[in-house]
Amino acid sequence: MSSAAKPRVLVCDDEHQILRALRVILRDAGYEAVPATSGEEALDLAAVRTPDAGIIDLVLPDMDGVEVCRRLREWTDMPLILLSAVGDEDAKVRALAAGADDYVTKPFGPRELIARLEANLRRTEPDREESVIVTGELEIDLASHTVRLVGEEVHLTPIEFSLLAVLARNRGRLMTHRDLLVAVWGNNYGEDTQVLRAHIANLRRKIEPPGSGESRRYIRTDPGVGYRFAA
Amino acid sequence: MTSSRLRAWRYLGQRVGASAQAPGTTGALRGRRPSPIGGLIAAAVSVTVATLAIFPLSHIAPVVSLGVVYLPAVLLIATYWGLGLGVLTAVVSAVAFNFFHLPPTGDLQLADRRNWISLAAFLTVALAAGTIAELARSRAQEAERRQAEADLAAALARELLRSEDTERALATTARRAADALGLSSAALELGVAEPGPRRLAFALHDAGGDQIATLLVPRDLPADAEERLRARVVPTLEALVAIARRRDALQAEAVETALLRRSDDIKTAVLRAVSHDLRTPLTAVLAAGHALGTSSISEAERTELSAVVVEEATRLASLVDKLLDLSRLQAGGAAPRTDWVSIEDLLAAASEGLRAPGAPVRLLVDDDVPELRADAAQLERALANLLENARRYAGDRPVSVHARRAGDRVVISVIDQGPGIEPAEIERIFEPFYRGRSSALGSWTGSGLGLAIARGFVEANGGTIAVESLPGQGTTFIISLPVEGQPALEVSG
Repeated sequence: MSSAAKPRVLVCDDEHQILRALRVILRDAGYEAVPATSGEEALDLAAVRTPDAGIIDLVLPDMDGVEVCRRLREWTDMPLILLSAVGDEDAKVRALAAGADDYVTKPFGPRELIARLEANLRRTEPDREESVIVTGELEIDLASHTVRLVGEEVHLTPIEFSLLAVLARNRGRLMTHRDLLVAVWGNNYGEDTQVLRAHIANLRRKIEPPGSGESRRYIRTDPGVGYRFAA
Repeated sequence: MTSSRLRAWRYLGQRVGASAQAPGTTGALRGRRPSPIGGLIAAAVSVTVATLAIFPLSHIAPVVSLGVVYLPAVLLIATYWGLGLGVLTAVVSAVAFNFFHLPPTGDLQLADRRNWISLAAFLTVALAAGTIAELARSRAQEAERRQAEADLAAALARELLRSEDTERALATTARRAADALGLSSAALELGVAEPGPRRLAFALHDAGGDQIATLLVPRDLPADAEERLRARVVPTLEALVAIARRRDALQAEAVETALLRRSDDIKTAVLRAVSHDLRTPLTAVLAAGHALGTSSISEAERTELSAVVVEEATRLASLVDKLLDLSRLQAGGAAPRTDWVSIEDLLAAASEGLRAPGAPVRLLVDDDVPELRADAAQLERALANLLENARRYAGDRPVSVHARRAGDRVVISVIDQGPGIEPAEIERIFEPFYRGRSSALGSWTGSGLGLAIARGFVEANGGTIAVESLPGQGTTFIISLPVEGQPALEVSG
């Protein structure tokens, strides 16, 4: 991170044990944890300490994590990452709709959490628009609209290219179906996930190594929620 | 004039309509024909009256035109008593007119053409009136019969379908049918019933042709009752019993569906709770483990985090124990292995095994408390869960346990001075995964399984568990276990 002061991360979970461990993990990764054990406390601390990002548990004693996201989104743009449980699909989707940026599933690996945090903080940093993105054997030239795989040019349709460009620019970050549809097709197409799936499938056929159903290298699926580009 | 005649017609119309629909009112056109003897008398009287009436009238009008005086008599008789008597009246009237009034009087002038004209006129009237009346009568009869059948069908439907209990409704329905048909008794039985020496059986079939019920009636039926039963009552009952049975089946299905849905809801709740309860300590252990591996960690943090690991792993272990207990109980696999157990030992073991830090526990066992035949491990789990629960809510105030003998039972009270339980909650606290509302106060939140396990094990050992609570003053759980007789050898100590 470039700034001298450590970025502050609001961490809201009612389990003290988890807060204690996260404080050490965040500090080790170069962040300062601002712990809160309830939704109310999180809302207060967000106003007082002006954190750069928030990590919020979906299940809180006093209010729903979704509600915390919604109330924070009323005035702040900071990245919000949810701690959710497998099976909380519904709450997850509601929270993303309420303004959360990403989620990790409990029990999570701290590395995964830090990676999500970094990917989402990158979004709020200006001047990071690269013209060429290189990941693995994939090279995306955003200026000339060309894609190379192992040096060979890959022919993409304009829609496939825009999808890939949006995903790659936001690499590591969750892009919900709606985010992608709005970014590529415009505001009126926010619900048409069928079309999105079809184009993603075509795109994968062109850039992913063949037969890599499970271990996709570049475009990962978050089932029922969206896609993300490998960080 | 016109209006009064209109009124008269309307009145007549109403009478006819009313008598056709309402059995019991008297009228020319009601279903049953009046007695023929009365008819003969009426015919004689009315012909006589007409004959006599002509004598004074003959001074005013020419006697030949006075034949019309007989017409009302013919009309009356033909309408009330039918075509046969009407024709007879017509003939008698013609003869009487001829004999008494047509000159030469006192003599029958068969050749007189006037005689034939009057006879023809009387016969025409009799024929017309009689035929119309007959038609109306048969229609009225038909309507009356249909009405009676419809009434009976409605009454049977009311009896059979009003009640939720089809079995009982069958009896009242049969009684109603018997009343309507004038039978001394009748019975309706589901399925096939055999006729007996004194009773007839009518099979009731469903649409598929299977016999669904049997109508039993006495053998000594009135003449037309059997035909009416077969043609009218049996089809109605068939339809009604089929409906009642279908309704019963649907009701049973609805109850079953509700039960299934409830058990499904419970399973979902259990799954959610388990996944959350397992995940939380796991997350803490995982995160603490990673944190312990970081380079920047201080000594104080290291101590703190290793405590987190131990605490959370302990919590996981305790939860896994409880889940195993619960699944054993729910699978019915918790048959106690009974042996002689000492309450004092049980309580000591249960309180020593408490994992979480918390309020002190004071044990008091009366001297006269006997040993019990029970599964020691299960009772220890039950007591440990009750103690854990009491300490969770007791704060710093001690939890006391008192065991005493009460007749042929041993009663163990676990008393805390915590916040107590709201009356609305008391019913639910033994449900798996139900957490008391005030439990959010402590950081060591319970699994919501302890009380369910305690009750399961106490009941598996023939005991009962009750709870008394005063909000604001504390809660007492009372276990009562049977004393099944003393061990063969008195255990000293």
